[in-house]
Amino acid sequence: MKLLLLEDDDATRTHLERTLAAAGYVVDVCSNGRDAIFLGSSSEYAVLILDRMVPGVDGLGVLKALRAAGVRSPALFLTAIDGVHDRVEGLDAGADDYLVKPFASIEFIARVNALSRRQPANDVVTVLRVADLEVDLIKRSVRRAGRQILLQAQEFKLLEYLMRHAGEVVTRSMLLENVWSFHFDPQTNIIESHMSRLRSKVDRGFNLELIRTIRGSGYSLDALA
Amino acid sequence: MPWLSGFRSGAFRFALLLALAFAASAAFLLIVVERSISQYAAAATDGGLRSEAAILQGEDREGGRSNLLRAIALHRRAGGEEAFRYQLTDSTGHLLVNDMGTNAARIGWGSVAVRDDPQEPGANVETLKSLGVFLPDGGVLVVATDTYDIQELRSRLDRFTVMAGVGITLFALIGGYLLGALFMRRLDRVNDAIGRVMAGNVAERLPRIGISREFDLLSSNLNAMLDRIGALMDGLRQVTTDIAHDLRTPLSRLRQQLEATREARDAERYEMSIESAIEQTDEILAIFRALLRIGTLEGGDGRQYFATLDLSDLLGRVTTAHQPVAEDEGKLLIADHEAGLLVDGDAELLAQMMTNLIDNAIRHTPAGSRIVSKLERMDDRIVASISDDGPGIPAEERANVLTRFYRLDRSRNLPGAGLGMSLAAAIAALHRARLELLDNCPGLRVRLTFSRSALTLGRPVSQAG
Repeated sequence: MKLLLLEDDDATRTHLERTLAAAGYVVDVCSNGRDAIFLGSSSEYAVLILDRMVPGVDGLGVLKALRAAGVRSPALFLTAIDGVHDRVEGLDAGADDYLVKPFASIEFIARVNALSRRQPANDVVTVLRVADLEVDLIKRSVRRAGRQILLQAQEFKLLEYLMRHAGEVVTRSMLLENVWSFHFDPQTNIIESHMSRLRSKVDRGFNLELIRTIRGSGYSLDALA
Repeated sequence: MPWLSGFRSGAFRFALLLALAFAASAAFLLIVVERSISQYAAAATDGGLRSEAAILQGEDREGGRSNLLRAIALHRRAGGEEAFRYQLTDSTGHLLVNDMGTNAARIGWGSVAVRDDPQEPGANVETLKSLGVFLPDGGVLVVATDTYDIQELRSRLDRFTVMAGVGITLFALIGGYLLGALFMRRLDRVNDAIGRVMAGNVAERLPRIGISREFDLLSSNLNAMLDRIGALMDGLRQVTTDIAHDLRTPLSRLRQQLEATREARDAERYEMSIESAIEQTDEILAIFRALLRIGTLEGGDGRQYFATLDLSDLLGRVTTAHQPVAEDEGKLLIADHEAGLLVDGDAELLAQMMTNLIDNAIRHTPAGSRIVSKLERMDDRIVASISDDGPGIPAEERANVLTRFYRLDRSRNLPGAGLGMSLAAAIAALHRARLELLDNCPGLRVRLTFSRSALTLGRPVSQAG
């Protein structure tokens, strides 16, 4: 899968390029906005990774130009600006995710993975399945091996997010942002508490544990043994 | 040259312009008046001549030449100094009466130059206006009168016009100069004060300009601006100091960790050590981020993005997210929220503030505690409170916990950097909400009061009046 990376800082660019290559991606890199617009509009990329602040046309301008040109690839903004409204501005410009520097490599890869495997928006899914676990998004019901599982609203949202990203690593901050809309890190164990409840309902009493903890990074839901 | 200051000012230039306009309109007015008065006087003279000629024609027609001569003599005597002058020529060209000493008189309107006194050769020559008419027998009668009064009137009016114009202009110029000098003097004081501020004396404030209310409003607004800038600078200085002082400890710890890593003998210890160094770096970054956020919030940044939001809904989400957390710690988190309460604010910041307050309540109470999140309307205010029945905070410590990096002795062993409450305080201040720490008897009650003005914060508030 081919990605576009716009980053003006040489050290960061090399590091990110190496990280992406290690994760199996092919990366086209550039260090200024004009090149990014040229590359982005002349070739198809699975994900656009744009540094928000580069000299000349900045990431915001690049994305606006590409979106205007009909480029629909998901975009991830990287930025050193951590104001509440900078994120909103980035999302308004057509970004799909926003990552504040500095970040852990694992967080970066998890987000790129999530974007690159994202279903097209017009592909409407009503039932999510992983192994014998089935989530009906319309009835809002959950079954495992034919047995009904009752979940609280937040547990359902959490499971839905994990199911949609089955096989991928989802990080704590991805869960906080997407399940609870918290764009900050609470000091308490919101995720751990909800996750242990979800696990006890979804995995307890079954041979195969679907939800796994990935040490130091987050969680993953998959059917691997 | 200080005396020039009056001329330099905008007020003087304005006065000069005004003076020119004044002078031009005065001149125009006076010229119109002069014209119409002269015309009126000339018409009166013409009418006098015409009626005198007609009367004498009548005398001649009715009573013959002798009657005419008698009438002329009579009129001359009755007129005295102001009398008309006459010239009568009979049909043979013989001069019967001649007050003018010249033969230049003619039929119709004309003017003749005559001496003041026909008998005296050295007398002044003046110009008379004349009207010549035929008599029935073919003679010619010329009646003339001096136009001295008209000319006198005219020249007086001219003089008055010029003098009035010059006077008005001078008056406007002097007034403009004085007013301009007054402005300059007042503004010089203000400019001196601004100069001192720019030179680094940030505590300096501008004097009142005086003159009028508008100018005082200007200087008081400028002072308010200086206050605000001063507060922002203080905040920035505070953040800088905090970063310099309080990041030093974690950074030295990180440095020690890295030194220890260098000494690590086996791969496993090495990896653990690196892991721990990364964790410490993340902590430092989190502190850094929180400090920056507090700094920008205290600067008032973000108010322009406020929107009306459902606080009941928001607080509901935050408490629901924390209920399992409280439960896992053996505590009870109860939500008692009145529905549909709206405030103007930033949803994300408010969620972060409420999360911090609930986090605190969960972390700083013993197992078995009861935490109540309450949201209600009180008159025109909206009050949110998080109360617990834990150990509370001693009254003398309550103000301190709102400052950065402050930690109670008993919670020093708990994770955290002591920034949660100061961030909450900064968010509350941004929303112009009052944050109070109260005694819950037992325990702590954190109360947030959104005043009515919080409902209109997003819109610019007029400072007038």
